[in-house]
Amino acid sequence: MEYNKVCLMYRNQDCTIDGIRSALGLAVENMYAYGCVMDEPKMEKFNELQAESLEMLRDMEGDVFATTAANCELNDLEPITIEELGEKLREMTHIIPYGIIKA
Amino acid sequence: MSKSLGIFVTNPDQFKHVMGITKAAKAKCSKVKVFFSWDATHNAKKEAGFPELCKIADDVSICVDSYKNMGYDINDIPEGLEEKAMATQAQHGIIIEDYDCYLSL
Amino acid sequence: MKILNVYRSAPDDTTKKLVEIVTRDRDADSFDLNVDAPDYDALVDKIFAADQTICWW
Repeated sequence: MEYNKVCLMYRNQDCTIDGIRSALGLAVENMYAYGCVMDEPKMEKFNELQAESLEMLRDMEGDVFATTAANCELNDLEPITIEELGEKLREMTHIIPYGIIKA
Repeated sequence: MSKSLGIFVTNPDQFKHVMGITKAAKAKCSKVKVFFSWDATHNAKKEAGFPELCKIADDVSICVDSYKNMGYDINDIPEGLEEKAMATQAQHGIIIEDYDCYLSL
Repeated sequence: MKILNVYRSAPDDTTKKLVEIVTRDRDADSFDLNVDAPDYDALVDKIFAADQTICWW
């Protein structure tokens, strides 16, 4: 059986947390689910529940990446460049630019 | 037989496209499922066309956790929806797994 | 593999870069939703013809 591989990308602080929750929801449904926090501004520090969600996602072979060092350090996210993200997207069955871009 | 189409909506400003695409797909006898999450759950209360969308599409549901987070009472079920359509992210999984074509808006 | 890129707004440099990488050596089509009256009928035909649709911000 081929499993779906899904990547959600977030470019707005307001929808990042829900977007990660959405990725977790797909991982629970037996998909490989990834999230990527792009751009500035800097994220807020995860609360305990949000940090647990990230751990659960990783336990299910998913992950959350970020394109800025500040966001990676703040919330223990995996660093990724736009070029690396693009290559990763080529492996995905579903690519989801999530929510809106905040100007 | 037309392909089936699942639409995952996370942007609250895309409702006219949700309607337009759903109408066009139904005109081709496609089976259409729409799931609203996060900010887009505002559409269920603020878009006058939402009840019509529920009639046109084969299946419309919203993320009840998102709806609550947007400040709504989960017992205040939007016009056009039944209680069972106040759902979880599993609906997104169904769209990905069971529908031929996928669109996020 | 045929990719359909749908644009909700004019793509910025980041989106353009991702599209360039994702569609490299692949068959690609596009549709602009950021117009006054999108031809939804044509869009649905394109979605049905594609193996993967990506609706960019």
